Amino acid sequence: MKILTDSIAIAANEFRQFRRNRASVLISLLLIPLFFTVAQGAGRGSAGSSYSPTADIPMVLVDNDHTLASARVWQTLAGSQDFHRLTQTSDEHAAIAGLGLKKYYAVIVIPKGFQGILQSSELNSTQARIILYTDDSEPGFTSQVSGTLTNYVQNFDPRIEVQPIVSELQLLRGRIGGVEIIRRGTSFPGFNIGLTVILAIVQIFAVFYEIAGGLSREREEGTFARLILSPMNIGSMILGKTVFDLILSTIRTFTVLGLGIFLYRGHPNTQIGTILALSLLIALMTMGLAFLVSALKIGLRAVVILEFFLVLMLYAFSGLLIDKELLLGGAAVIANSLPFSYAFDAMRRTILVGRPLLSLTTDLTVMVTSIVGLYIFSYILLFRFRERLAT
Amino acid sequence: MNPFFRDTMTIAAKELKQLRRDPLALVLTIMFPILLISNFIVIGSAFRSTTHDIPAVVANLDNSPASAELLDELTTSSLIRVHDVVQTQAQAFREVDAGVAVGAVVIPEGFGIGLAQGHTYVVTQLDFSKATSAQIMYGEVRSAIKLLLQKAQHGELQFQVQEGSVEIITIPNSGRPPNGDIIMPGFLGIIVTLGAFDDTVNAISRERDRGTFPRLILTPISMLSIYNGKMAATIVLTILRTGLMLIILSLNGLVVRGSLILVFLTTILIAMFTLSLGLVISSRIRSSSTLTVLEIAMTFPLFTLAGTGQSPLLLAPQGKAIALALPWSYGNDALRRVIYLGLGLPAIGGDLLILTICSLILVPIALKLSVRTM
Repeated sequence: MKILTDSIAIAANEFRQFRRNRASVLISLLLIPLFFTVAQGAGRGSAGSSYSPTADIPMVLVDNDHTLASARVWQTLAGSQDFHRLTQTSDEHAAIAGLGLKKYYAVIVIPKGFQGILQSSELNSTQARIILYTDDSEPGFTSQVSGTLTNYVQNFDPRIEVQPIVSELQLLRGRIGGVEIIRRGTSFPGFNIGLTVILAIVQIFAVFYEIAGGLSREREEGTFARLILSPMNIGSMILGKTVFDLILSTIRTFTVLGLGIFLYRGHPNTQIGTILALSLLIALMTMGLAFLVSALKIGLRAVVILEFFLVLMLYAFSGLLIDKELLLGGAAVIANSLPFSYAFDAMRRTILVGRPLLSLTTDLTVMVTSIVGLYIFSYILLFRFRERLAT
Repeated sequence: MNPFFRDTMTIAAKELKQLRRDPLALVLTIMFPILLISNFIVIGSAFRSTTHDIPAVVANLDNSPASAELLDELTTSSLIRVHDVVQTQAQAFREVDAGVAVGAVVIPEGFGIGLAQGHTYVVTQLDFSKATSAQIMYGEVRSAIKLLLQKAQHGELQFQVQEGSVEIITIPNSGRPPNGDIIMPGFLGIIVTLGAFDDTVNAISRERDRGTFPRLILTPISMLSIYNGKMAATIVLTILRTGLMLIILSLNGLVVRGSLILVFLTTILIAMFTLSLGLVISSRIRSSSTLTVLEIAMTFPLFTLAGTGQSPLLLAPQGKAIALALPWSYGNDALRRVIYLGLGLPAIGGDLLILTICSLILVPIALKLSVRTM
């Protein structure tokens, strides 16, 4: 019973201190969730809306064929929703020279003989070609524009007066020669995928600073020594701070979800309770790690720097930015050893795919085991080094 | 020497001396960019890699020579790893649902006959919660089918089929092979930004924490000289950081096409703008740790919005507008054009001008606010 009353006293003290620091309240509960959610929403667009990434990018088409078929390629592209700023020019060299200078970002060249090859391809297997010059100093642009263009012209039929606009269904039915590929599996809006990342990163970012930073500040201000000298034990301190931060984490989860759902029309495929549970599990894992780091007697500045590297490392190795499956060698080993990787996997599988949380037994086992392990290890270290930490 | 410049140099020398005497700060100044770039190289190498191990499952329901050939193409792929060949479509889909495989490929019954007649299909079930892997896998299935068709056309198989009517040949204007190198200039920009933010914390907030800032402003040195001196120190550190980054990037195979002087000039201007903004923020937020957290929290959205990993051109309209308003976007853009395309000053002059003007606007604001909140 004493441990509970002590923990509540610690949590109440934390809240009092937190409330008195306006900058902390603002940064922890508002600015961090806001920065991350808005960056994601603005970058990828709302979940409910769709936009064409190539629509407003200046591009130019050079028609060296001057035939009906090449005119129909132009007609198809210019009339599409993906090439609003496509213009025509006859000077191929000048157009290509303009790449990299922000005048044009892509030059589509229809070579001479295009129609002839298309007509002969009905008799033999020769393919007509379109050459695409791109400004590849824009990351991701080349693959984007090449993919979009392929969708329009891959099965181009010069006999059709106006090419049909590529529909979502057609995109899902890629066709190569005589083989159609039926693509199954739900595609998720970019924002929904981003939402899983934001929920996780916001918690890790804020929680690590609140726990490890809070303890470092207490040490630097000398209040940690007084806390150690009080009749409270280390367990009460850990529990009190955990309760305090779980409440803040809950508020943050709802802030991100509120912004995501109401501002960017995000649509989680699971219940709010599941999201909250997972979010708090990630927070608990981070808290365990933060207590462990605090036992190493590091300063506040070092905590902030460590936090930055932790987040960055998670971006690189735990499937947030790059799927774990794409990592090889040592990077893959690190990714598979990080408990956070399993937490992020669970986030995606519940929020996007809609799997029930309790069916993700491996992910849950790894998360719970690592939380228990980190807390036990932190307790032992904090207890063992308490005097060293107080001086 | 003009007293203004003399004071500026004195402050810059003081800053560098303080840094030299603080081993932790010195190590961080050097290790920070090294650790960051190592992380970014891992990210870049994942995109650059020509081999992956994406788990896949295949259900071959046909058992014809054509389906065996397709299965062979899939199992020998360097991007996907067929870890299981199952007997039914449901089994294959179950493995994807369970997260055991990123995708399932179903070769339907009658595939071989359909192919010989010129029309057949293949079903893929992909786990798009792992969007990049799913896309890569889809692309690999397409490639395998294309290879199968080519073999058929060359008479290696017993049937003739027709290819799609138009093929796109993509020629990037840099002439470089498509790999993850293009994100490196943006990462250099972000490292410089973070370094300059760190310099702000060192320059102002730590002085405030230690109580040396009031003493500094009580000296006859003007506030402008103090700020200029701190900027001069940041320029020296930025040159060191940029040099270090360029060495590491070169060792990792990135060829810098443009003038090195322009690369250094761009990073210096990015750092000066960041420091100017940091000075404005530090006039309101006094604690160094709060300032550091805020600045790091501000930096992460820049990965998405300032053209670090993805071109701002491809962002949603709102994101594009934000990217246009962020001076860092222009800095990253200039770095990409110089490093990747080898363009000169005329091509990036506008970007550099925007960074300079923004810094020139922010420094007086920082001065005014600092005086007010002194």
